[in-house]
Amino acid sequence: MIKNSIIFRSRYVLSILIVFVLLAATIIPENPLYNLNWTLLSTVIVFMGIMAFFWQFEKQQVSSKMIALIATMSSLAAVSRIAFSAIVSLQPATFIIMITGYVFGAQIGFMVGAIAALVSNFFLGQGPWTPWQMFCWGMCGVFASILSLKEEEFRLISFTVLAGLCGLFYGWVINIWHWAAFMYPLNAKTFLAVYASSIVFDGIHAVGNVVFSILFAGTFYRILCRFRKYV
Amino acid sequence: MLTYQFKDNFIFKLHPFTQMTFIGIVFILSLIFSHPVYLLGLLISVWAVIAAAGNLSEWKGYMKFCIIMVLFIVVINALFARAGTTIIYSGPEIPVIGSLEISVEALAYGLGMSIRLLVIISIFCLYTYAVNPDKALRLFSRLGGKSVLAITLSVRLFPLMMKDFQRISEIQRCRGVKLVTGSWWKRARNSIPIISIMLLSGLERSLQLAESMYARGYGSSPRSYYDKDLWRPRDYFILIVTAIALVIGIWSAVMGWSAFSYYPVLEHINPLELIGAGIIAITLLVPAILNWGWMKWPILKSRI
Repeated sequence: MIKNSIIFRSRYVLSILIVFVLLAATIIPENPLYNLNWTLLSTVIVFMGIMAFFWQFEKQQVSSKMIALIATMSSLAAVSRIAFSAIVSLQPATFIIMITGYVFGAQIGFMVGAIAALVSNFFLGQGPWTPWQMFCWGMCGVFASILSLKEEEFRLISFTVLAGLCGLFYGWVINIWHWAAFMYPLNAKTFLAVYASSIVFDGIHAVGNVVFSILFAGTFYRILCRFRKYV
Repeated sequence: MLTYQFKDNFIFKLHPFTQMTFIGIVFILSLIFSHPVYLLGLLISVWAVIAAAGNLSEWKGYMKFCIIMVLFIVVINALFARAGTTIIYSGPEIPVIGSLEISVEALAYGLGMSIRLLVIISIFCLYTYAVNPDKALRLFSRLGGKSVLAITLSVRLFPLMMKDFQRISEIQRCRGVKLVTGSWWKRARNSIPIISIMLLSGLERSLQLAESMYARGYGSSPRSYYDKDLWRPRDYFILIVTAIALVIGIWSAVMGWSAFSYYPVLEHINPLELIGAGIIAITLLVPAILNWGWMKWPILKSRI
């Protein structure tokens, strides 16, 4: 256990170090990476984060049931992204990813979030935003799994609060890309302008997550817990 | 259902690796370049390739959506950028953003970035409509078989679940459950059974899927391949040409030709520095030119 945590911590430090070295390389003059396009750099960093999770998944012993479960949950999230906006003009994808992460843990939560974003974009259109959406939704699954580690049993209130926060988190991380890609100069003023202009969308997303989690969380939790026995 | 629809032309008949390389290189070049002429060159070649692939009508739809974003970028840049010196309009004080000053440089920068945005959106439009997602994913299956399998299964389950959704909601509506009319909260509550039935039947199906995979011996031996994509002379030709474009692009970036300083005063455009843009545009036009030849001369079609 102690050895495990040391390995875990050293990896943690190493990954933070890599990101900092990459960021530092673009602001220290006199090296080939100086003044590299920040849009490219930020997308590369996000992509590396996604790849780390996928690599971890590849290294694991994975049963066919786990693969089928990930495919099913991510395509349910992707379908809900499109189908439900017709009924209530909100999409429960974030909520579905989070409840999956809550029940099945961080690894499956991240995979379901990332694949849901990728697959729904096969039908809605891929773009430079795809890695960012993959990362954000994956992290929503991871956050929910962290909550489940902290709690003895399922509590609707804490899950709902987290769902609302994840809605804000999703918009705020995507905003970084929007800011780095289209704004000049890259300073605090334009940064705040981007965040101010997106506040309505983020608010709607957060409120939608709260509503879906109040409506569906109990049912979903029971169904998924029953299914967990088979996997 | 899927945005990808096969068409019988040169672009669709390329190996997925060639298609992905072309798209990836144009994407990287569009981020490296900041010179408006270089970006315009990229935009023209991508437009020609999209026209050759026969996806121009979808591309127009993308462009309509883009115009709003372009306006947004130009306006925000013009209002917030303060580095320009050639001021064409100075207005009253505004509480949050300070005094209103619009400079030529800020407008030019907004337009330059808009061309970049158009290139990026166009290249992803080409990817969305002209690359078969299954074939593109198969390229990565050597690197990570399990994740690619999960993604491919998910792509396959998507239309199935979409049908499930339609079927279940129609049945619910036949029973008198209101999904289209009524208050928002009522509609949201009425959609609970739909989504929980979708979840249950989806999980049931995933168990059957897993059992069928197990019965067929998934994971018991090295992977086998159902079919393989052939490499043809055209693929090598396009790969060489796009590699040339990449090399010249990096060369002109290193020489500083493809960079353009908007601030504090717009840089003068040196015609000699535009040679790189011309060569890159021509090399990236090759797929479109070959498609034209492919339609015109059957002999070329049979040779490549």
